[in-house]
Amino acid sequence: MIRFDNVTKVYKNGTVAVRSVSLDIQKGEFVFLVGPSGSGKTTCIRMLLREELPDRGRIWVAGREIIHMPKWRVPYLRRNVGCVFQDFRLLPNKTVFQNVAFALEVIGRPKSVVETQVPQVLELVGLSKKRDNLPHELSGGEQQRVAVARAFVNRPLILLADEPTGNLDPGTSQGIMRLLDRINRTGTTVVVATHDAALVDWMRRRVVELDQGTIVRDQARGVYGIDATTGSVPRTEVGARRS
Amino acid sequence: MPLSADYIARETATNLWRNRLMTIAAVLTVAVSLALVGAALLLKQGASNAENYWQRGTQVTVWMKASANGSESHAVGSELKQLPYVHACSYHSQLADYHEAKTLLSPGEFQALTVQTTPASYRCTPNQPQYAQAVYNRFNGQPGVLKVSAPFSQIHTMEETITVLQWVFLSVALVLLLSAGVLILNTIRMAIFARRREVSVMKLVGATNWFIRLPFMSEGLVQGLIGSVVAAAVVFGLHALLNSFANPNNPGTVLYQMRLSGWELFGTDFVVVLIGALIGSVGSAIAIRRFLDV
Ligand SMILES: Nc1ncnc2c1ncn2[C@@H]1O[C@H](COP(=O)(O)OP(=O)(O)OP(=O)(O)O)[C@@H](O)[C@H]1O
Ligand SMILES: [Mg+2]
Repeated sequence: MIRFDNVTKVYKNGTVAVRSVSLDIQKGEFVFLVGPSGSGKTTCIRMLLREELPDRGRIWVAGREIIHMPKWRVPYLRRNVGCVFQDFRLLPNKTVFQNVAFALEVIGRPKSVVETQVPQVLELVGLSKKRDNLPHELSGGEQQRVAVARAFVNRPLILLADEPTGNLDPGTSQGIMRLLDRINRTGTTVVVATHDAALVDWMRRRVVELDQGTIVRDQARGVYGIDATTGSVPRTEVGARRS
Repeated sequence: MPLSADYIARETATNLWRNRLMTIAAVLTVAVSLALVGAALLLKQGASNAENYWQRGTQVTVWMKASANGSESHAVGSELKQLPYVHACSYHSQLADYHEAKTLLSPGEFQALTVQTTPASYRCTPNQPQYAQAVYNRFNGQPGVLKVSAPFSQIHTMEETITVLQWVFLSVALVLLLSAGVLILNTIRMAIFARRREVSVMKLVGATNWFIRLPFMSEGLVQGLIGSVVAAAVVFGLHALLNSFANPNNPGTVLYQMRLSGWELFGTDFVVVLIGALIGSVGSAIAIRRFLDV
């Protein structure tokens, strides 16, 4: 579903953000992208959306090579890749319903589709009752749910989340994770870049760790970090009880 | 791609209303600048009309020698009639010129004149003042012709003045158009900048560039149209006002000579509205280009 083949990204100022990264993510997988600040997580996600182009290597998304993809196809790529950010990126003067509906309207979906899909996805994220509220009337967690709903309403094959819980308290964060998990179980491939060790440990999913732009770890049922003193992986129960 | 007119119309209407202050600013900018452009265009055409009017008034006179015989006089007359650049000629007999001289000359000078010594003349109006010179070259020195006279230096000055005036008005119109373009572009750019968030979300969820661009363009089009219709009305009013001062009983006034036909006024208004529509829609397309790249 997602494939990086020896990808290197150097920003104009000379920063090497991603260095020879090769990575395979299968359909339906749930993957955490972890690593210290500046390790290249956001850069990877931006390349998947083709907001940035790598300097070397190739990237496939949903069976398509996206580096040499003509510009006019990029919007169609993005329809297959939903995306959620730390800062929600909702439109402040549109209601919850309108924010989600907007994502369908601007890709030309007819009214009938909008009227059936939006209530469904609002039900899924648990915001049916707040459909007529404006974003500033919602809590951070609720706003992020709206953002997830907007990213998912078009049923993309892939859902990317860059620090989706960066602004939320632990309890609320878990709620968002449960939601992403639920979306993952519909068959959607989910990639989450995060700093949140507790969440990663709690979810026990595949973990890809980046450091200074290279993959230093790729673990099938991983935790956030390897214990620096013992070199051993923390025991499962430690993470699982944190909530 | 299903780009529905319904979606564009709805987006346009809600956005115009939601950003109504910006809308008003843009409409006023278009209205003021295009009214000025229209006024400059009116003046330019007015100057050209006045020129035509004055040109029609210039005369070249072929004076016949008092001794010229009938066939010489007839030859000059028929040749003048055939010249393509001479609009019309009238023949003034010796007697007619004698009576005219009586009114023009001082009694002392007039005393020396008799009907027999007064030259007969052809008074001609060339199509363009500069053809007076051609008439001069053709007939000066021809048998029976005394001399050819025309207000040559006056014609020259007048032509230069009007040419300069026309250029001044045209360049004023162009400069105004340019600054109107920049002002409008800036207004649209500010409006789009205020909504860059919306544009970035549209791109994020996979809206095509045309889908993003079209509502902005139709918004710009509406603003440009409203503004330019106001400008066209101002131009119309200005024209009516000037016309009300142009007294038909006194055709010597500049205002009367400059007056425009209905078609010229209609044409000017049409140009103004066309420019407004173009500036609005194309301006939006240009202004949004920067936000579409990535
Ligand atoms: N637009 C840019 N221009 C130049 N350098 C950049 C740009 N964006 C990121 N970088 C650099 O690239 C490196 C990787 O950045 P990136 O944002 O991918 O890291 P990250 O893993 O997402 O970090 P964080 O966890 O803090 O979000 C950093 O050193 C950063 O300074
Ligand atoms: Mg980041």
